[in-house]
Amino acid sequence: MAAAATLVVSFRGWGRLQQLLGAGKGASAFCAVLWRRGYTSQQELEAHKVDLPIEMENPYKDPPKRCVLCGINVDYKNVQLLSQFVSPYTGRIYGRHITGLCGKKQKEISKAIKRAHVIGFMPVVYKDPTFLNDPKICDIRHPE
Amino acid sequence: MPRYELALILKAMQRPEVAATLKRTIEALMERGAVVRNLENLGERSLPYKISKHNQDHRRGGYFLVDFDGPPAIVSTMMDHLGRDVDVIRPTFLKHPVSKTEECSGIIPVNYEDKLYTKKK
Repeated sequence: MAAAATLVVSFRGWGRLQQLLGAGKGASAFCAVLWRRGYTSQQELEAHKVDLPIEMENPYKDPPKRCVLCGINVDYKNVQLLSQFVSPYTGRIYGRHITGLCGKKQKEISKAIKRAHVIGFMPVVYKDPTFLNDPKICDIRHPE
Repeated sequence: MPRYELALILKAMQRPEVAATLKRTIEALMERGAVVRNLENLGERSLPYKISKHNQDHRRGGYFLVDFDGPPAIVSTMMDHLGRDVDVIRPTFLKHPVSKTEECSGIIPVNYEDKLYTKKK
């Protein structure tokens, strides 16, 4: 009864106290004094805290989203991987909104493709025909 | 000594000539104080685009990869040397790529509100 009373005091305002004083039949004189003053003792505060939910990180949180290349090493030598991020018609590198890669990996791919162009490993203005039937990661018609 | 990688594209030749060219190249590297770790053959394939070098047009080439440790001064001297070699189409010196696949924590969602609107202090 005392615990319920203190809970009520903390959550509702002074205005309600009048009604509560009237309603609380089993209240002792000590409790009545507490209500008027509007403070709760240490014991009551702790009793009050035990009922609250335990603070913890959301256990149902989703793991952070990963891009397609998370954890894969990007090298200028594997032209097949690089060709997947390049247009088959013009050989242009697809942008971030089409590939859906995270910042780091997009930059790595871009650098590797340009390097492969210069070194003479990858064609510049078209996509190597042997890689045309590779699984499509970037679909320009349905980006992201 | 830093580790370099030499991506070498040689003219499409017969096997003994390719071997002779590679031998010349690696000996030149070692003369200049390099320690060759590994030599890989990536096969002979058609080049991605026509490359004109030494008054000739090349459409096919042999791809090789030389892994070595050497002094930094080697790069400029070797480029000079390989530029004069008729059988070499395109030499490229690169720093050996450090394959780093450490914990990629995934895409961390960015709070655009904070980024775009400056909050009043």
